[in-house]
Amino acid sequence: MLIDKNIYKPIRARLTDVIDESPLIKTFVLVPEDKFSFETGQFIELSVDGIGEAPFTPSSSPLVKETLEVTVMKTGYVTEYMHMLKPGIFMGIRGPYGRGYPVDKFFGKEVLILGGGCGLAPIRSLLFALENIKDKLEKVILCYGSKTPSDCIYKPLFDRLNNTEKFEAYRTVDKADEDWDGSVGVATALLNKIKINIKNSIAVVCGPPVMMKFGTIRLLEMGYRDDQVYLSMEKNMSCGLGKCGHCMMGEFFVCKDGPVFTYNEIKHNSEIWK
Amino acid sequence: MQYKCIKKEDWDKTLEQLLLSYTIFASVENEFGLDYELIKPVNIARISYNKPKPATPLKSFFLPVKENVTSDIADEKPRIILGIPNCDIEGLCLLDEIYLNIDFNDIYYRKRRENTLLIASDCFGIQEHCHCLSYNIMPYSVKGADLAVINLNGTIVFRMLSVKGEDFVRNIPAVQSPVDNNFISVVEKEHLVTETLLMASGNGLPDYKKTGKLVSKEQGDIWEKYSSRCVSCGACTTICPTCTCFLLIDKPGFEKVKQLDACQYPGFERVAGGEDALFELRKRFKNRYMCKYVWKPEKFSSLACTGCGRCIEACIGKINKNELFTELAK
Amino acid sequence: MKLTIEELKSVRFFDNYSDEQLKIFISISSIKEFKVKDILFEQYDELNEIYVLLSGCLSLGISLPKEKRIRLGTLEEGQLFSWSAVFSPYISTAWVMATCPTKVVAIDAKKLNLEFEKNCGFGFKTMSKIAQTISHRLSDTRFQLMNQLTL
Repeated sequence: MLIDKNIYKPIRARLTDVIDESPLIKTFVLVPEDKFSFETGQFIELSVDGIGEAPFTPSSSPLVKETLEVTVMKTGYVTEYMHMLKPGIFMGIRGPYGRGYPVDKFFGKEVLILGGGCGLAPIRSLLFALENIKDKLEKVILCYGSKTPSDCIYKPLFDRLNNTEKFEAYRTVDKADEDWDGSVGVATALLNKIKINIKNSIAVVCGPPVMMKFGTIRLLEMGYRDDQVYLSMEKNMSCGLGKCGHCMMGEFFVCKDGPVFTYNEIKHNSEIWK
Repeated sequence: MQYKCIKKEDWDKTLEQLLLSYTIFASVENEFGLDYELIKPVNIARISYNKPKPATPLKSFFLPVKENVTSDIADEKPRIILGIPNCDIEGLCLLDEIYLNIDFNDIYYRKRRENTLLIASDCFGIQEHCHCLSYNIMPYSVKGADLAVINLNGTIVFRMLSVKGEDFVRNIPAVQSPVDNNFISVVEKEHLVTETLLMASGNGLPDYKKTGKLVSKEQGDIWEKYSSRCVSCGACTTICPTCTCFLLIDKPGFEKVKQLDACQYPGFERVAGGEDALFELRKRFKNRYMCKYVWKPEKFSSLACTGCGRCIEACIGKINKNELFTELAK
Repeated sequence: MKLTIEELKSVRFFDNYSDEQLKIFISISSIKEFKVKDILFEQYDELNEIYVLLSGCLSLGISLPKEKRIRLGTLEEGQLFSWSAVFSPYISTAWVMATCPTKVVAIDAKKLNLEFEKNCGFGFKTMSKIAQTISHRLSDTRFQLMNQLTL
């Protein structure tokens, strides 16, 4: 049966809070006017009235239905406008779109999350979802790297995770400053310090393209199979509906077939790996 | 196949009456060639039958260059489009798969589709770059449209192709069943002539699937060679019956305007971080053929190239994709 | 401080060695301890020992003129370092400093090379592991560099 919902029309959401995470990054807290929920790893098209829209993966817990949080880095035309917004105004939301993380496939397993840079936003949402099902998981390890200490947002997250049963969180920076006394180097170097049973494990990689490439290669070298590694692929998602063609990655529409893929599904795509 | 017929002069009179309740577009010959025109009583006599093919692809009637996709759908008079070549009918199948998808149904496209009667026209003869037969598409419709029309020496013959088409024809008083089946052999003879012409013009051109394999495998300089005259004008994507990539532009009041876009424009795949997988012209150029001959076939059952040849005619750099494929096939 | 086979078996670098081979390591190694800010070796030092980090934390980096130390990496437990001790010209490519109380296995590099000559299989296995360490270190360094060169 064909439905009459207008797939292009956004729902309105009131911006209730803007949290400064770093000079270039803010988290927007939104209260959708209509019923809205998402699965971790799915994305939304968030719009500024009359200006434009851009795709974001919510960074909040998928279990919280009344509000959602979206972490936005100022990096272009639309996000620059977003950074000027004050609480009280309305934004537009279309979605949720895409295939999120299949957390039910993680039951009984050790989950290794390898993240970098801006990838921490969707990872945060995934961690909330995993915390909710931690009784069904063996353990969860986060290895995260940022360029500098100030580039890492959600700083309290790491202490909180290290104080949560079954969770371990490790941080590193590419370039240390005077006050930094933690690990220096890339997130893949952190993999040297963790203890994990690869045969009973799932790996999730999320971050900028450089991270996706190096991280995946290292995980495969460690012994992960192609179908054990989950990647969140980013492309120019525009309509979110598998129609406008901007996010095509080979035969896939990232907005519909992804953004979460297993390495197995996309390993033949030379555009990404060569 | 079921056929009905009507005298041409009666059909012309019928069209004039139908103008009261339908908006009619038909293929008409003008100073530049053939194209659709909005039909009024004065140009009914100039409607062209069985001559390939209107310059405008059928997609333009269902996917306007620009439309507001958040406003209420306006109630419009039902439409008849008369004189559609089969290559465009086949192209519409891909558009249906994309826009009438069960998960995300485009109500604007759907309304136009439901509101339109499609009357195809068998092609008797070919244009210079027609190559539908190379992709197993016949120069006449047996499905996909509501009716097919043939003008045979003063008699209009309809081929019934859908229930909608049958109902339409049933409501025309002057329509009769054919007296005998002699006309069928005349029509088949014309088909054979057209197919022979198509086979000659498509000599050496690989079929749809083989083209996909050749394009996929080819990594060399041939892409530089053929894209050297490309200026990324986007004419090929505009005129193509199956190209539908679009932008969503925000307007105040959370309104959205859907506007046709082209993968040939720079920045089509550029992301906020600045990376642009299709920054290089030769990559954009190859990408379009990968999309049409390799990737879309994996996702959709309909063809993403129907062999109409309009891209070759429209290209201001005179780039001929068939020359490219013939060279790859050698 | 005496090393035991059990202690070595719990360290990642010594995976997949036989007990006999682990005994070779024990015969040419010792445990060394360092306190905070101890420099294990400087960049361009001549190296005699190859190390495996048992516990603690070590920073690695290079120096610029006027002795400014730039921290480039951190070594993790179980990792091998000071691999230049096994190859001519046996000169360190970086400085390594303890940033908390640290224990390492210190393996005499000259004696290790002699063992390689006696037992090619053992030599090949060990050099392969060292090569993999260097390969990962290089790959990680490239990754770090890419992060600076791209967004």
